[in-house]
Amino acid sequence: MSNLLDTVMNIEVFLFIGLLVWLYFKPVDKDRDSSD
Amino acid sequence: MTENNQARGLDPAPGGQKSVFSSPLLIVALAITGVIAVWGLVDAAGLAAQAAFLVQIQFTSRAWFIMLAVSFMLIVSILLAFSRYGSIRLGKDDDRPEFSTLSWLTMLFAAGMGVGLLFWGSAEPLTHFELISRYEKQGTAAGYALFVTNFHWGLHAWAIYALTGLVIAYFGFRRGTPSLIGAPIVDTFGRNRITLPVSWLCDLLAIVAIAIGVGGTIAMGVFQVKDGIDALFGLSDTGMGLTAVVFFVLCAAYFPPLVVDLGSGMAKLSNAAMAVAAALMIFILLTGPTHYIMGGIVQALGEYFGGALVHGFRTYTFLDEHIGNWFSSWTLTYMVWWIAWAPFVGVFIARISRGRTIREFICGVILGPTLFSILWFGIFGGAGFHTVLGGESELMEVVQNNVSAVTFYVLNRFPIPGLTISLVVVAAFLFIVTSVVSAAFVLGMFSSGGDLNPSVKIKLSWGVILGALGAVMILSGSIDAIKSIIALGALPFVFVVLLLVVCLLKTLKTEFEN
Repeated sequence: MSNLLDTVMNIEVFLFIGLLVWLYFKPVDKDRDSSD
Repeated sequence: MTENNQARGLDPAPGGQKSVFSSPLLIVALAITGVIAVWGLVDAAGLAAQAAFLVQIQFTSRAWFIMLAVSFMLIVSILLAFSRYGSIRLGKDDDRPEFSTLSWLTMLFAAGMGVGLLFWGSAEPLTHFELISRYEKQGTAAGYALFVTNFHWGLHAWAIYALTGLVIAYFGFRRGTPSLIGAPIVDTFGRNRITLPVSWLCDLLAIVAIAIGVGGTIAMGVFQVKDGIDALFGLSDTGMGLTAVVFFVLCAAYFPPLVVDLGSGMAKLSNAAMAVAAALMIFILLTGPTHYIMGGIVQALGEYFGGALVHGFRTYTFLDEHIGNWFSSWTLTYMVWWIAWAPFVGVFIARISRGRTIREFICGVILGPTLFSILWFGIFGGAGFHTVLGGESELMEVVQNNVSAVTFYVLNRFPIPGLTISLVVVAAFLFIVTSVVSAAFVLGMFSSGGDLNPSVKIKLSWGVILGALGAVMILSGSIDAIKSIIALGALPFVFVVLLLVVCLLKTLKTEFEN
């Protein structure tokens, strides 16, 4: 059980790192709106 | 931007800044801190056990990630400072710094470290020494103990603060977003059904972490000042009576700076606290074994700057459980502790850094306090090692049995201990006041949608709330519970800070491309 929890918690971290990399390289032109 | 704030529930009450309680965000934040405070009062042991259990799970599974994250922050900070982005000014191109460099450094240092230095100056190197000397010869153990202490208080800690502060300052002063933790996310990725709630959640986590963190600091600081007074007058078993007196004097001291402007309030307090701390440091250096202490400092400087970057990746994975527990209790706890303080110190550093370039900001924030810490621990730790390695074992007994008394024990071995212990008590008091004043200021900014000059009424309201939280934690009487809760509240911030760094890097790249 603790091994499963450990695996899940680390998969979350891997996904988060992947998300950060994706966000960094994602084109910005169409993302931002000009609501300000 | 106002429309943006209204959508996120961050605007001041209609007609101006009327009440702390006008925002749903703040009501939720207060509800969460209130529940934790009541739980702590009713069942402090249960709360401590639950928080410690959850923190231990996180530390076991994610130690590698925490160390990787803080090392990444340091490397990004250094690269940014010396990149083409280093000359970008935090503000308009013709903006210039509001505070002198000395006042700026003392303010950020007092807000970021403060009272902890007084507490741990001799105690931390000696505590590590006690463990390491079981594995190494005493001389080697002393050097490594000083190195690890410097690592805990050095570049990595300040890189966390620097990057958080840089994100807030860059987006706030250059791009005109509110000075809020979540604002860069909306500015970078646009307003949509994902960024708005994520931004809101980041702000919520920031307020909860700040309120709990500063409440805990008040409690721990009050206990320390009380211990100092006990040592000064040879008192014992003064109970809650003296604690209550210290607490009320502290409250009376931090309200006046809240009603004056930031420059005259915080700058004077920080300068006074740092002047007292520096005087103590010089006194110990000159009246103690000067050549021995200076030798230790020079060695520590070389070992630290030669090995800090590599040490940031060290997880002690292949060593025994004893070392693993030490790593969790010290290194990981410290890194998470700095992350807990990052929203508060980062926003505060940003507020006082308008007009500085990114290079100037990063170099000042990371290098200045790190050098001071190396001097501080070199002097107080060196004085402690001189005593212990000279054959006096009584100090190690104090380290093992009553760590809060170590500073006072060491001072008692130097001339005019009455005066120096009084100065420690005064400096501790001033550092706590500066922490509470700057926290009330930052929370006031959050309460008014990122207003850089929150009203006196709002700052006073936060002063009352922080005082109440501190009182609750004092009544709970459990430092361990306070530490575990702070760590638990801070862990989500590892993710938040990294997300903010991506926002910064992405926006800097876009600014240059355009």
